[in-house]
Amino acid sequence: MSQGLLILTRKPGESIYIGDIKVTVVEVKGPQIRLGIKAPKEVRIYREEIYLQILEENRLAAEGGMSTNAVVEGLTPNFGSSQPANAKASGGLSKLKSSTSLTPKSDGPIIRKKGTNGGSNE
Amino acid sequence: MSSTGDTEVVTVKSTRFGEFTVPKDSLIHFPSGLIGFPRAKSFVILEHKPPFSWLHSIEDPNLAFVVIDGAEFGPIYEGKIPYGDRDTELEAGDDYAILIVVTARPDPLQTTANLKAPLFVNVRNKKGVQIIFDDARLSTRHQLWEKKEDIPTSEASDDTGEKK
Repeated sequence: MSQGLLILTRKPGESIYIGDIKVTVVEVKGPQIRLGIKAPKEVRIYREEIYLQILEENRLAAEGGMSTNAVVEGLTPNFGSSQPANAKASGGLSKLKSSTSLTPKSDGPIIRKKGTNGGSNE
Repeated sequence: MSSTGDTEVVTVKSTRFGEFTVPKDSLIHFPSGLIGFPRAKSFVILEHKPPFSWLHSIEDPNLAFVVIDGAEFGPIYEGKIPYGDRDTELEAGDDYAILIVVTARPDPLQTTANLKAPLFVNVRNKKGVQIIFDDARLSTRHQLWEKKEDIPTSEASDDTGEKK
């Protein structure tokens, strides 16, 4: 799956269109180039370093160890704020949870089984 | 998939949990997947030890994220809710959930939460999206646990005094 790299040369003030998105070279100042991007509000635009940072963090999280012991001796959650939770948001998660509860097979913390779940082994 | 007249269920294969079934209407759809996982579009949220849940992929048996309710962190996303987002079709007035991906590590003190790239899920249509906030105040590695003795006693004004 190869994607070619299209190289275009622009002068300050000139633009290109990517679909509906307009990219303008606003200013060139030494080694820095200022780009202006005109896109629909829902289009997500990120600096590459940030995008890669999140990509890496997601990857680590996906393969992360199982140690999510909520009740660990001597530790308390750091939620960074003592203000009450956002009401709209806090209602949301409980409405999304599946009623299924499970026991992990591998090296994870044991989850209390709420009811019998046929076929779950070990 | 079977339909009993009550709920349709979906069978999910998982390297962590073996095989299990979930109600079909509990599935959450991420049209763009997650960042770095563009093909992982279908997930289900499962109970784990509070305050954690699992966000488990339907398509990939090996893919699951530990998540925490973003509401636990207070109104840090105030003004940043992605209304108008095309993936979720989220509109003002819609009920939504914020899920924060947790990077769990063997040492609990190293377990961190990615506040910089939360997942927003529209409760109405069960569609989700991961949004990155280029905000220095939001860390990709917010440390989730701290030792009790490090907490200043004057903080946490609404704390009932009960500590886990």
